[in-house]
Order: sequence, then structure tokens, then C-alpha cells
Amino acid sequence: MKGLQRAGAAARRSVIRLVPAERRDWVEAVWAEAPEVPPGLSRLAWRAGGVRVIARAALMRRGTGRALLFAAAAALAAWAGWPGSPASFATSVDRADVITVVALLAGLAVVARRVLGPAGSSRAARLLRVAGYAAILALVPAKNVVEQVLDTPPRGGVDLRLYRLISGPGFGDDWSSEIAFLVVMAAYVAAILWLTSRRSRVAPATLAIGAVAGTVLGAAWYLVGPLGFGGAPATNPWLQGAGIDPFPALAAILLAGAPVAAAVAAYRRYPASSRSGPPAGDRIRQVLAAGLLTNLVGALLVTVCGTGTIAAMLTAPWLRNWLYRGHPLSGVDGLRLLLRGDPAALAYSHQITAAADAPPFLIISMIFPLVALVLTGLGMLGLAASAAARHDESPRAGGAGGPGAVPEPEPPAGAHLADCD
Amino acid sequence: MGARSGFSAQTLSVLAALSEEPSQWRYGYALAKQVGLKSGTLYPILIRLADRGLVEARWQDEPQPGRPRRHMYRVTADGVAAAAAAALAETAQPTAHPTARPRPRLVRTRRDAVPGVAR
Repeated sequence: MKGLQRAGAAARRSVIRLVPAERRDWVEAVWAEAPEVPPGLSRLAWRAGGVRVIARAALMRRGTGRALLFAAAAALAAWAGWPGSPASFATSVDRADVITVVALLAGLAVVARRVLGPAGSSRAARLLRVAGYAAILALVPAKNVVEQVLDTPPRGGVDLRLYRLISGPGFGDDWSSEIAFLVVMAAYVAAILWLTSRRSRVAPATLAIGAVAGTVLGAAWYLVGPLGFGGAPATNPWLQGAGIDPFPALAAILLAGAPVAAAVAAYRRYPASSRSGPPAGDRIRQVLAAGLLTNLVGALLVTVCGTGTIAAMLTAPWLRNWLYRGHPLSGVDGLRLLLRGDPAALAYSHQITAAADAPPFLIISMIFPLVALVLTGLGMLGLAASAAARHDESPRAGGAGGPGAVPEPEPPAGAHLADCD
Repeated sequence: MGARSGFSAQTLSVLAALSEEPSQWRYGYALAKQVGLKSGTLYPILIRLADRGLVEARWQDEPQPGRPRRHMYRVTADGVAAAAAAALAETAQPTAHPTARPRPRLVRTRRDAVPGVAR
């Protein structure tokens, strides 16, 4: 009994550590009164009230609330994405995905706090971090549904021939794409944590610009290919799989135009450097942040929405039939011959077609940020060069007895660094 | 109820109980019994009142043998004034409808026991 009491006291001491220091006295106070309460249910109710006080006080700490929210979301993603069928390559891949992504999200947040400092205090920073984490957690179960089809080759018959014909080589026993996916996700998490941290010195207005431009970019790409991007013409239900279509061309232009537009907008919105104002490097940094964020958000949005749509098609036959209605799925040679008069084979061909259109999202996730980095990198170089040229010219202008430096205009609202260290 | 003074009915009852003997230090369990609140409700109220400077708290100097030190509470001068102001507001509150039942008085503070309040 004494051992039980000691264990209870130790548990209470460790739980009290969750409570902010200035509230711990109050929690101890509830416990200190408990011996005065008549034993039995009354004392139990009194202690239960103490637990309630601890919970309320602990939730006042933002960190505790966020950790609990993340734990709940991670548990939900793990529950939704954990594969049931044992001992197959797809199951091993899916389990590795769930465990690694949750560990990445939790571990990188801890590392980022030490290296980059806490999250920015602006609403834009907090919303972006939460939305980024939610998107990656939502992607895991959707991707796992797709992989259960794509990485599980049929044992034989027409289905195996369909699988080989439609999915192509590289699926069923290859960890390389999984490793690439996990590396890309780690890079995304790291980028989100950097952009939304205090030490990154990214202005809230820059974050808002990047998030809005990225949402537009992602929505446009999702509208162009809502069912993924693949060789079969079933990918675009309303574009009928035309080889050269104005909409994909416009989407490609947007891929380059959106980060550039966001970078220009962020640069203009951020106040120019002055003696008392922010240094010139901070303004140039907004260019990189806005451009990169645009394509990160765009890629994440189209990947999550597209993979989610495909996962929904795979789990709901009515949705698959409705979305593929009227589409011949004849982009693959020899498919018609295999499907002739076999409704089960036709259904499987739809499944494998949908699943095989999902992997290009991984390529999108890699290419989008690279495009932004190249374009904004060039822009930054140009801006840095012009700033250096201005710096070289300014002493001569001052020495010639000119009017001197013109006072900088007041920065626009919301463009200042609200949350730098 | 209590909206006029900015306090909930339960907060007012705690404040009133403490204001009955403003100089007296009170224990949590005795206070809970007096106002009929559970610990999970009473302590958050005490925390809020202490944060606003209406209640002060301290630990018992010498604990009883075999018992942990207890936390004690006393109303401050500001707390007494707030309780009195709430009592006045409650008294002055007009009846919403002629047929409405009279509302029970939540604050039982005797105004003549509250220093610094105009009578």
C-alpha cells in the first residue's frame, strides 16, 4: 500500500511539472486539503477536482496544448493509415511511413526549437505551421491506401497482366521511392519550421503572401489534374486527356509565375532598409521566403488533395465509377483486349489506373520547391548586386554636397518584422 | 446573474464568504463547504481572484503533525470593495418584469461589516 502511495506521489509530482511554475502552489494546495476531506467518495471527488485544476492550468501553457493537439492528430493519422493486412511489402512500407513521418514531425519540431528558436508569434506563422503539419499527417493515410493497391501485385491471371501493363515497372518491391518520399517530407517539415520560426526573420505579411499565392497555385494544379498525373487519359476527366491543352500550359506558367509574383509582392511590401530600420538582407530574405513558401504550399496542397481524391476513389467504387464514367482508359496499348467482357478486370484496371496516377505527386513535391529556389535565388542575386551598386554610389553623392539621404517612407502596416528575436 | 459586477454567481459567493470576516485566513475545504462548491470549481475561482488582487494566499506557517502544510486565503481590501460593489449592484438591479420572481441575493455580505463603503 505504501508503495502504491509512493508511486502515486511520484506520478503527481511529474504531472505537476506540466503546470506553469506560478500555478504549482495552487495544485499543491488542493492536494494539501485532501486529508481534511472525509475519506471515501468525498475525498475522491476532491482529488478529482485537483486533477481538473491541473488540466486547466497545464492547458494554459501553449506548449502543452500544442503537444496534446499534435499527439491527437498523429494518433488519428496512425489509426487511419495503419495497414491491417500482415506480412506484405505494402504493409511494411505503410507502417514505416506512419512511424517515420510522426517521428519526423515531432523530432524536427524539438530540434527546430533549439536551433531556430520558438515559433513566430504572428497568427500567420502559427496557422502555417499547424496547416503544414495537418497536411503532412493527412497525406500519410491517403498515400497508404494508394500503396496498398500499387505495391501489392496480383498473384496471377488477367489482374497480374493488367498490373504490369498499367503500373509499369518499379512498384511492388522497391524502397527507393519510399526513402525519397520520407526525405522530401523531412525537407518540407524543416522548411515550414524555418519559415515560421522567429529567427528566420520572415515577416507575417510575407508568410501571408506566400500562403495565398501557394493556395492559388495548388488549387490550379489540382483543377488541372484532380485524379493525379499519369500516362492514361483518365487523369483529367474534364480535359479528355488532350496531348497539348491550354490549361496544363497555363498551370506550368503559373508554376514559375506564382513564386515570382509572390516574391515581388513580399519585396515591395517589406520596408526598405534605412539606418534605423531593418537591414537590406532582411528585405532580400523576404523574396526567398515568399517564393519558396508559394511553391511549398502549392505542391503540398495539390499532393494532399490529389492523393486524397485517389484514395477516396480506391475505397469507394461508386466514386471511381462516377469519376471514370465515359473514359475509355485506352491510353495503354493492349488494355482493351484484356478488358473485353470482364467486369472484374475492368474494375481492377480502374483501381490500378487511379493508383498509378498518384506517384507523380512525389515528383511535383520535389520539382515545385526547386523551381522556386532557382527563380528566387536568381532574383536575390540580382537584388543583392543592385544593392551593392547603390551602396558604392551613395558615398560619392553625399560627398558632393548633395541633398543627402532621403528619409525612408513609413513601412506599410503588417510588413514589419513583428516577431523577430 | 453577476453580469453587472463582472463576476459569476459562484465567484460572488466565494468573495462574499471571504468578506464575512475579512481579516480571517480561511482554508480551501472549509470555504468549499460554506459556499457549496467542489474543489475543481472553487480553486480556479480562487486563482482568478488572486490574479486580480482580490484575494491573497499564503502557506500555513506550522503544519499540524502528520499533515501537509495547508494553503490559506484572505480577502484583500480591493476584494472587500469589489464584494460590496457587487452587493450594491445586485440590490440596485431593477426587476425585469413585474411578474418575475425576485432573484435570490448571492452576496450575503453585511454592508456595515465592510469598511470603506458608503452607506
